[in-house]
Amino acid sequence: MVETTLYLMAAAAATLLGFAWLALSMEAHWRQVFGQAAPAARSRRILRVLGGSALLAVPGLCLLADRPSMAALVWVMLLAGGAVAAALMLAYRPRALRWTYPWALGRSA
Amino acid sequence: MFSNFRLSMTWVHTWFGLVIGFVLIVVFFFGALSVFDREIDRWAIPETRFEPQPMPSFDRLLLPLLKQVQADKTEYAQKMPLVHDASKGPMTPPSQLIPDEYWAYTTHRDPVLLVGAGFNPPFPKDPKGHNHLHGRATIDPRTGEFLKEGSLKIGSDFFYPMHYSLHWKWKNLGIWLVGLAALTMLAALVTGIIMHRKIFREFFTFRPWKHTQRSALDLHNLTGMVALPFHFFFALTGLIIFASFYYLPVSQTLLKPLHDQHEVIEARQTGLPHERSGVAAPLASVDAMVAEAKRRWAARDMAGEVGFLQIHHFGDASSYVSIYRAGSDRVALVGEAIHFKSSTGELLREEPPRSAVAGVNEFLTGLHLQHFEHWLLRWLYVLGGLLGAVCIATGFLFFVGKRKRKHAESGSQGSRVVDALAVTTVTGMVIAAVGMLVVNRLLPADLVGKGDWEKLAFWGFWIVALGHALVRSAPVTQARMNPAWREQCGVLAGLSVAAVVLNWITTGDHLVKTLFTDPYWPVAGVDLSLLATAGVAIWATRRLARQEHAVAASEPDETLDEENDAALPTTARVQHG
Repeated sequence: MVETTLYLMAAAAATLLGFAWLALSMEAHWRQVFGQAAPAARSRRILRVLGGSALLAVPGLCLLADRPSMAALVWVMLLAGGAVAAALMLAYRPRALRWTYPWALGRSA
Repeated sequence: MFSNFRLSMTWVHTWFGLVIGFVLIVVFFFGALSVFDREIDRWAIPETRFEPQPMPSFDRLLLPLLKQVQADKTEYAQKMPLVHDASKGPMTPPSQLIPDEYWAYTTHRDPVLLVGAGFNPPFPKDPKGHNHLHGRATIDPRTGEFLKEGSLKIGSDFFYPMHYSLHWKWKNLGIWLVGLAALTMLAALVTGIIMHRKIFREFFTFRPWKHTQRSALDLHNLTGMVALPFHFFFALTGLIIFASFYYLPVSQTLLKPLHDQHEVIEARQTGLPHERSGVAAPLASVDAMVAEAKRRWAARDMAGEVGFLQIHHFGDASSYVSIYRAGSDRVALVGEAIHFKSSTGELLREEPPRSAVAGVNEFLTGLHLQHFEHWLLRWLYVLGGLLGAVCIATGFLFFVGKRKRKHAESGSQGSRVVDALAVTTVTGMVIAAVGMLVVNRLLPADLVGKGDWEKLAFWGFWIVALGHALVRSAPVTQARMNPAWREQCGVLAGLSVAAVVLNWITTGDHLVKTLFTDPYWPVAGVDLSLLATAGVAIWATRRLARQEHAVAASEPDETLDEENDAALPTTARVQHG
């Protein structure tokens, strides 16, 4: 029971983080979070890989928590929730997303 | 008709979306509430605030109670004259009908138990037809007491039917309208995707600091895109659930002879009698059959509780008992039925594993009807429903914002009317739902017909909201915002807080108690949701007030950051033209 909750929390966190990373790999959202500079090509690549991997881990975590039929639903619905959460954070609290990619801070201050 | 494909898709999306949006937003919002229908029931009927109960003893508790259930008077008045053969004698009154079937139904969220009976009219016109008259009752399985007459389960008997039927029962028009809306919604999703050229580039884009028109479209795209699988599958599965019964009832029309023949053959194959034999027979212990069913589920490594129990042909030698397993632990609904001969308790049939097609069907209907025990997924469904409602509401705002200046110049009332209807179906609808809860707590518990008064209050609030939205709509003709948006948000905030406070005063269940000292999540959840509603409503009120001030200071509002629009995709403006 506790394990199930932990897996689901991890899945939710991975969804949000994955979408945040994917958003940061886009110029407009990078600017929202870090100020003016656009992400370097290397950062962009890293962010895309990070975001993609996090989102790929989500169905795995869902499968650890629930049986497959249920996990599929949780996964799809978490994607919706995570994307909305990422978009709302970008809109209202963009700086709160800085910690997701701390390596950028030194460069863009 | 249009110069290119995308423009014609835009036309479809705009006009179909507008017309059907007024229905869809109701379906989405009350669908979201229906996810927690049982919890709303607990809030509205305080004497049922206790823990969910397993299926009680049939022999000792349920059977004596079921014998007191009578045919529903409304259904009797409508159906009895249709199925009764008047040439054979007068209609048998509801209290003297002989029961043919009994059932009991519960889920992992039900403290109270729903039970029912089906009665055969003694002189049917068509003896082979499905002539059942039905009766239902709700009981407290701990004591065997019936729920107080006249109390309304606001969640499962009002908000939930609202979700799929709009309470428009005449000729099932509400159900047809909802189905049409769902079908149109599928078209709106496809056309919406075709119109929306920057699906990936603007996936996370929401710019609340831009003018209303831009941020409304951002939010429309965002809520539509991120929950696209939810929108698609819920519209589709909603249609599937009703398809065979309401929308394409071929088994009752064109293919009725085939259907009836199939029933007989199926009965022969399964050994479950299709007809009463006419020979009376006693009922063996149903509790022993339940124990045997549970033993067999456990032996199949799927131990579980009883979700649904039904006795067919009650009192007859061909009577049998069907026991279904509750589907708390998976998506598909109740199933794994095991059937016993009523008179002896001997096993008649154990349902074989589902076929692939049946499995898919059960998954699709189950994901919509959600009997499973998964609180995170339930909340995510609420989120999906609310995202759908926001998507439609922002669609209305965009539609009006797009046209109101033009209409102001030409003197057209079009956007004024659409805007007033939007107010009614967005804030007005929430006011009606929350207002109903407030009235539920204000009316005395022993008032005769309390539920009817609550329904009246619901519609009353909604009609007043419509009147208010229309009366206050004049500014729209000058391309300004209807102040009813702000005022109704204010009313909503007040009502939501009032509902929570009244719940505390009338039942003593305040949040400190329901969250910490004596946790009871159903009531705490409704209270917290009401407070969240109040929070959003207050935020919206203040934002709208600021906007009105800003507009009053510098007319008109949409030109404020016209320069920024240069950098924006012009597609939106062109497309929606």
